[in-house]
Amino acid sequence: MRRSLLSILLSAFLIGECAGLVALLSFSAAGQQQSTVVALPLKPKSVRFAVFGDNGTGGPEQYEVAQQMVRQRTKFPFDFVLMMGDNIYGSDTAADFRRKFEDPYKPMLDAGVKFYATLGNHDNPNQRLYKPFNMDGKRYYSFKKENVEFFSLDSTYMDPQQLAWIDKQLSGSTAAWKICFFHHPLYSDGKFHGPDRDLRARLEPLLAKGGVSVVLSGHEHFYERLKPHQGIYYFIIGNGGQLRYHDLKPSPDVAKGFDTDRGFALFEIAGDELYFQALSRTGEIVDSGVIQKVVATTAP
Amino acid sequence: MRRLVFTAALGLSLSFGQQPPAPENAGVLKDFETRVSGYMKIHRAAEADVMALRKTGSANEIAKRQADLATSLREHRPAKQGDIFTPEIAGEFRRLVAVTMKGPDAARVKKSLKSAEPVQLSLKVNDTYPERAPLQSTPPTLLMNLPKLPPELEYRVVSRALILLDVKAGILVDFIPDLIK
Repeated sequence: MRRSLLSILLSAFLIGECAGLVALLSFSAAGQQQSTVVALPLKPKSVRFAVFGDNGTGGPEQYEVAQQMVRQRTKFPFDFVLMMGDNIYGSDTAADFRRKFEDPYKPMLDAGVKFYATLGNHDNPNQRLYKPFNMDGKRYYSFKKENVEFFSLDSTYMDPQQLAWIDKQLSGSTAAWKICFFHHPLYSDGKFHGPDRDLRARLEPLLAKGGVSVVLSGHEHFYERLKPHQGIYYFIIGNGGQLRYHDLKPSPDVAKGFDTDRGFALFEIAGDELYFQALSRTGEIVDSGVIQKVVATTAP
Repeated sequence: MRRLVFTAALGLSLSFGQQPPAPENAGVLKDFETRVSGYMKIHRAAEADVMALRKTGSANEIAKRQADLATSLREHRPAKQGDIFTPEIAGEFRRLVAVTMKGPDAARVKKSLKSAEPVQLSLKVNDTYPERAPLQSTPPTLLMNLPKLPPELEYRVVSRALILLDVKAGILVDFIPDLIK
């Protein structure tokens, strides 16, 4: 029955929308669409990771999110974490790094979880040199995990050199999944910031041409999953420490929003499927789903 | 052909729709390039006098070495506003920025600036960029229309000013006030 429903949804997407690179097979969220949470399947050899952004406040809520991540990790053992920027708010002395990064995430750091950061507008660019952020001393960089390649960009300074770099990297990548993450969202329904339209105009054509399936961002202090644009799924996960309460405005572009608590997201990629769950600080699953990679076919 | 000559002469990358300088202003931008090269020589000399920034697990080391580099740079370069952005160079930058701010992309660039947490700061050459102030992102279209910089330097927007920031040392190299309109 579930399989049939998925097939119908997939067909409807392909017929009614477009033959993009990826299709959302199904999703569920409290009070919306289906009532069933899409589980993270824990398939063998899958790529498992967590995502949060705008976390580095050093406040109690950041610690509570971190504790919830540790709890979730006992059920879903993710190997690494993507940080969406604003890693260290305010001053960035050694004491700040302890209070805003090393202490809250100590259980995960001690367990060997790797953190991959991107720079936000509140970050000192020299954070690229801080080894636990795994940026290899660079403003923008990429790394691979199985069939997935991740590209971290510096959206605070998207100069022509960086645009040329991402264009070349995407063209040369043979990864089945290409995921970009950077601080400023190209699409957003936040009242306070909104989307960065100039960044979108310059960057999105390169991402679409280069076969990017998913883009992860922060900057907005809430969770939002947007309806796909140019075959790309956009997520904003900027409530890892900060929260802008009720900042999401109603929009047909919102696939799911959550702006009443802090949180993070979990992802699992297995073959052609990407599963996701967005969770609140208290562990409530506020969104979940699976994105299926569609093999592009050419008409004879 | 003319565009290629300017590109070679100025060492600029004019890909991604960058605007070439007006021919009569090529000398002004050549002067800018020379001043930036001169700054980088000072930067390297200042860097040689202190422990170099490097990848490390110690946040304390990063903070200390950044501060040491900033101090060394101030000692090597007792600078004032306009040392790099001379009146002539500032004039050419006003023209280049106006290409962006009044062109077909203007509305989009202005919205982008608004969404990037604008900051208000009192600007002084050789001051450290305040660690508590966010770095406003510079719109890509604006960057496309400005001369290329070495990786140690960035153009940043502070309110209506364009600043030249030494990102390794975190200090303000020079600025043009009231440029972004």
